Amino acid sequence: MPDTLLNEEPLPYELPELDLVAPLDRHRSVVKDEWVDWNGHMNMARYMEAFDYASGAFHTQIGMGRRYIDNKLGMTFVLEAHITYDRELRGGAPLRFTTQLLDHDAKRLHLFHTMYHGEEGFLASTCESMIMHIDAKTRKSSPFRKVVQERLAKMAQAHGKLPKPPKSGRLIGIPRR
Amino acid sequence: MVRAMTDLPYPIETLDLVAPLDRHRATVLKEWIDWNGHMNVGYYIVAFDKATDTLCNQLGVGWEYTRDKIGMTFVLEAHATYDREVKEGDPLRITTQILDHDSKRVHYIHAMYHADEGYLAATNELILMNIDYASRRAASWPDETMRRLDTLAPIHAKLPRPKQAGRVIAIRKK
Repeated sequence: MPDTLLNEEPLPYELPELDLVAPLDRHRSVVKDEWVDWNGHMNMARYMEAFDYASGAFHTQIGMGRRYIDNKLGMTFVLEAHITYDRELRGGAPLRFTTQLLDHDAKRLHLFHTMYHGEEGFLASTCESMIMHIDAKTRKSSPFRKVVQERLAKMAQAHGKLPKPPKSGRLIGIPRR
Repeated sequence: MVRAMTDLPYPIETLDLVAPLDRHRATVLKEWIDWNGHMNVGYYIVAFDKATDTLCNQLGVGWEYTRDKIGMTFVLEAHATYDREVKEGDPLRITTQILDHDSKRVHYIHAMYHADEGYLAATNELILMNIDYASRRAASWPDETMRRLDTLAPIHAKLPRPKQAGRVIAIRKK
């Protein structure tokens, strides 16, 4: 008897109805006071923390939220992330996040999050990330289970119709005139 | 410590010409650990931001620079690679290599190592912009900061370019 469920088995909890609105537009947050630094704005490091929660909202959609971890079915590790800091945010500012699935394969997700001021609507930041599925027991990369892959395929179809975000695929450098 | 004469109204550390800069040490705190039992992705950036403070202290644009209402530094863009897990209590060593700079910006990459075991845990490549305190807009570096960047840049340029620098995120198809 294996300790973990086989890939083809359903998840041992109820999944949310799949939201095929593209980009995913469900995650909301607020800039916490402890995220504000000596420059009087949200500290650069806290953007990654905020984006990690938006990533959690996406994971919940595909069936890999908190219960996936708690049931020791596996986890995901971020391999790489790229953040653009587009505008400052003050303590208490409401945040709205959208998430576009740019690409995926059997083990990996390529996501693009956009953070907006929730009321004023301006772009505050973007975060592009590469995420790998990890087996809970071996702590090595492993394929998503079938039910997750099915959800990803449906989302990829819906998200694939969106234009590629202009701030995706960037590399860091000082541009020369 | 020798205090250099500068255009900044507070003492600045002696410039460290060791390349890469190898001054920053830290420990993985309990509150940096997540559900997966390792340092959370967000806290790698917190740890790297403190290494940026170490760089800024070397350049004379650390905490006193903002305290004295002269200026601030803002990160414009950041790229992190997560190379290996670290756990609560692990000692960290962070080195910093300057890759490029101009009159307002500096482009650099931090490398985080497990301080005892020596393995690479993560990298963080960044662009930092100098900001005028009053206008909150981009401005030229203080003269002393520019002198220090001009001194460090050719020394750091002799190092090989880290393979994690200049990456684009993509799934490479076989």
